[in-house]
Amino acid sequence: MIHKKSSSQKFILLIIVLTVLAAAVPYAIFRNYQEEQAGKKVSIVFISKRLDENNDFWSSMVEGINMAASEYDIDVQLMGPESEADYEAQNKMIEEAIAMKPDAIALVPSDYSITVPYAKKIEEAGIKLVLMDSVMEEELGLCVVATDNVEGGKKMGEYLKQYADSSSAIGIIAQSPTASTAIDREEGVRKGLGEYQSRIMEVAYCYSDAEKAYEETIKIMEKYPQINMIIGLNEDSAIGAARALKDLGLSGQTWIIGFDSSMEQVQMLEEGVFNAIVVQKPLNMGYLGIKTAYQAVMNGAVEQSIDSGSELITQETIYTKENEKLLFPFQQTQE
Amino acid sequence: MGERKNSLRGRMILSFLLIVAIAVVSFMIISINRSSRAIKETSVDYTLQLIQMMNENIEFYIENMENISQIVISNSDVRNYLLAEENAKEYLTKVEEQFITLKETRKDIYNIGVLGVNGNYLINDRTVAVNNNIKWEEMEWYSKTVEEQETIYSSHVQNIVSKEYPWVVTLSKTITNPLNNETIGIFFVDLNYWAISNLAEEMKLGQKGYVYIVDAAGEIVYHPKQQLIYSGLWEEEIIPAEHQDQDTAAWETSTKLYTAMKLEVTGWRVIGVTDLDEMLSSTNEIIMMYYLLAVILIGVAMLLAVLLTDKITLPLRRLQESMQEVESGNFKVDVIEGASRDEIGDLIGTFRMMIQEIENLIRRNYKEQEEKRKSELNALQAQINPHFLYNTLDSIIWMAEDGNTYDVVLMTSSLSKLLRKSISNQNELVTVSEELEYTRSYLTIQKMRYKDKLKYSINIEPAVADMEIIKLIVQPLVENAIYHGIKYKGGIGTIIIEAGYKEKGLIIRVIDDGYGMTEEQLEHIFDQKETDERNNGVGVRNVHQRIQLYYGEAYGLRIISKIGQGTIASIYLPVGSGGCNDT
Repeated sequence: MIHKKSSSQKFILLIIVLTVLAAAVPYAIFRNYQEEQAGKKVSIVFISKRLDENNDFWSSMVEGINMAASEYDIDVQLMGPESEADYEAQNKMIEEAIAMKPDAIALVPSDYSITVPYAKKIEEAGIKLVLMDSVMEEELGLCVVATDNVEGGKKMGEYLKQYADSSSAIGIIAQSPTASTAIDREEGVRKGLGEYQSRIMEVAYCYSDAEKAYEETIKIMEKYPQINMIIGLNEDSAIGAARALKDLGLSGQTWIIGFDSSMEQVQMLEEGVFNAIVVQKPLNMGYLGIKTAYQAVMNGAVEQSIDSGSELITQETIYTKENEKLLFPFQQTQE
Repeated sequence: MGERKNSLRGRMILSFLLIVAIAVVSFMIISINRSSRAIKETSVDYTLQLIQMMNENIEFYIENMENISQIVISNSDVRNYLLAEENAKEYLTKVEEQFITLKETRKDIYNIGVLGVNGNYLINDRTVAVNNNIKWEEMEWYSKTVEEQETIYSSHVQNIVSKEYPWVVTLSKTITNPLNNETIGIFFVDLNYWAISNLAEEMKLGQKGYVYIVDAAGEIVYHPKQQLIYSGLWEEEIIPAEHQDQDTAAWETSTKLYTAMKLEVTGWRVIGVTDLDEMLSSTNEIIMMYYLLAVILIGVAMLLAVLLTDKITLPLRRLQESMQEVESGNFKVDVIEGASRDEIGDLIGTFRMMIQEIENLIRRNYKEQEEKRKSELNALQAQINPHFLYNTLDSIIWMAEDGNTYDVVLMTSSLSKLLRKSISNQNELVTVSEELEYTRSYLTIQKMRYKDKLKYSINIEPAVADMEIIKLIVQPLVENAIYHGIKYKGGIGTIIIEAGYKEKGLIIRVIDDGYGMTEEQLEHIFDQKETDERNNGVGVRNVHQRIQLYYGEAYGLRIISKIGQGTIASIYLPVGSGGCNDT
């Protein structure tokens, strides 16, 4: 009898212990999980080539970045020099960002070669690297999220091909002989032109200076008066060339097509100086860049190259719902 | 517990637990379901309230535009200006004044304008440069106004002013000539789109929630991810067909909860989107709470089950223990008194009665056995051999005839002792010395009869003298010694009787140096067939039987004999009087 009673007491004790365990253990795990969830925000540092609220391209990209950040609940830090050419400032920022030990860094490299060792440092620190907008001479990073410049160039080439014939003569103003964007776009233009690529008379370089583009255009036009088609491979090249044609009184006669979509370009398109422009989608680029960096942190594997897209826009298609969004950012109207 | 897999108690606890667990778990599921539904309902209500507020704000803007349009359209100067071919400037100044006043009062108004069919127009004020690169007649909002007389054209880029490309919502109306009802122009007012997008952006529906607006045609007026949607990077079913006609509606996908409300004035719809995961994150806590509650309830239930079943099965287990005791032979178990007055109580009562009955039966059986044994013992008790009695009496007669009075007295008194002992039935047991005294009487008589042919001696170890043994076991052996041994021996025979300890037992030996017995005789001495009334073979066997009957098979008689040398008869008895059948 005494033995049985004690075994019954043991059993009661066991029940109490089990109950407490069954309650306490999952509760502790749950609390822990909650705290982990709260503290486990993915952190990404975005280092731009240029951080400028007044620039449509870069501010749209930031807008896209913020969309991804709120959608995936990511802690995103924005960095970037005021000037695109200030690679030294950017290199310092890369080092700062590495010291912050984020999960990933989304980098818009300032320079094709000078940025390389700094980008390598990011990878060496074990931080996931996603490149946006531009690439470098060495293949670095898990993924490149950028406008497919070959594809963008091809759109320009294909557009002009419709109006070209064997007597056409074409001039190209490019931003730089070494910039990957220029090289790719030119390649795309040639692809798009197909058999008419032989009609390209000259490729001139403006080194991202609209003034220089203007001068180069005038020089080319003097050199090859038969040129009836001009292609500007970036904003400065396109604007410089368009201004030159306008001043030469050739707008409307000479076909001109440009890359990018600054307000001035859009106005000149509306005005009829440009026949078409190819716009990039910086908002998409920012969104996809951060989303990809997030996926790289979460899953490890991501696509190597993601095209954020481009769109060829003519005078007729400026005010379609879709294109309005690309060409006229909201910030314009904010007071 | 646990001593048996299928114990009644175990099964009771298990079924008890099962019932409680099912009850608790279903209670939990229902509650969780209810609370998550309640959370959703609350969220829908809350979102509707927010949307309602937002709608009021939007309607305020729209009404304001409407008011402006009323003011402008009802202004005769405007009509006059649009109709005027001359004096236009005069009217223009007046209209301009009105426009400037209207624009000043409302910061959210971007443009106010009238566009005359005849080419007269005014946008904001005279300093504004019109965008020459476009023709407003070709713009969609314009053609739509001409078609519908009145329209609200949702978010678009207003390009009418040179170098300005604001996002606006345009309210426009045709202006007619009251005389002939002909359209003479169009009035429009542009509301800064930012005013509306800001309302939507500021509306907080949790971290991941957002608000979007669609117009009556289902086109997006505002969506935070409008461009992503156009690019195919973001998918959203803007408004499902089945909810298109409802004033308020709520629907959900696997991840989001949508709450929609229609704006009466514009036919627009404001849709609030709440992230389900985020919203239901609080349900996780509720689930956790319910889980804890369930665990505690089940724990308490288990305790109760153990305690209750302990109480219920306690009498049963006691009964079981009692039964085990009974099984092992103890009938004096204490079957619990005061058992409950339930089925188990009845069972215990019956069991108790059964035990008593069994015990009575056993007792009766034992008594009967005892009586049987006693009667057997009595039956076996040796009587004085009648031949011996007869011979003795003969001897007495001869001695009396010879006048040998002393011998007659001696023999008669010995015989008298002998007879008295033999017939006294009072006690089964006598002391060793009493028994041997009796034997001595017998030997006295025999010695007198055999004259000098018999010699004897009796040795008792003092320690055993007072030990009790069953009576009349030595004399038959002496008788046997005389008739089988001494009688056939030529010359004097000697009988020695010894009583003493040996190997923790009591041993009484009758030793004679008579003729002895053959092996055959020895073998048959305990055999019933070889009875020889005269020679008293019965006596020896009888002694052996009685010893065994009384003390058990471990004890008894052993006889060693050799022809020409003599016989030793040994009685082995336990020390003390305690026989195995002692009552």
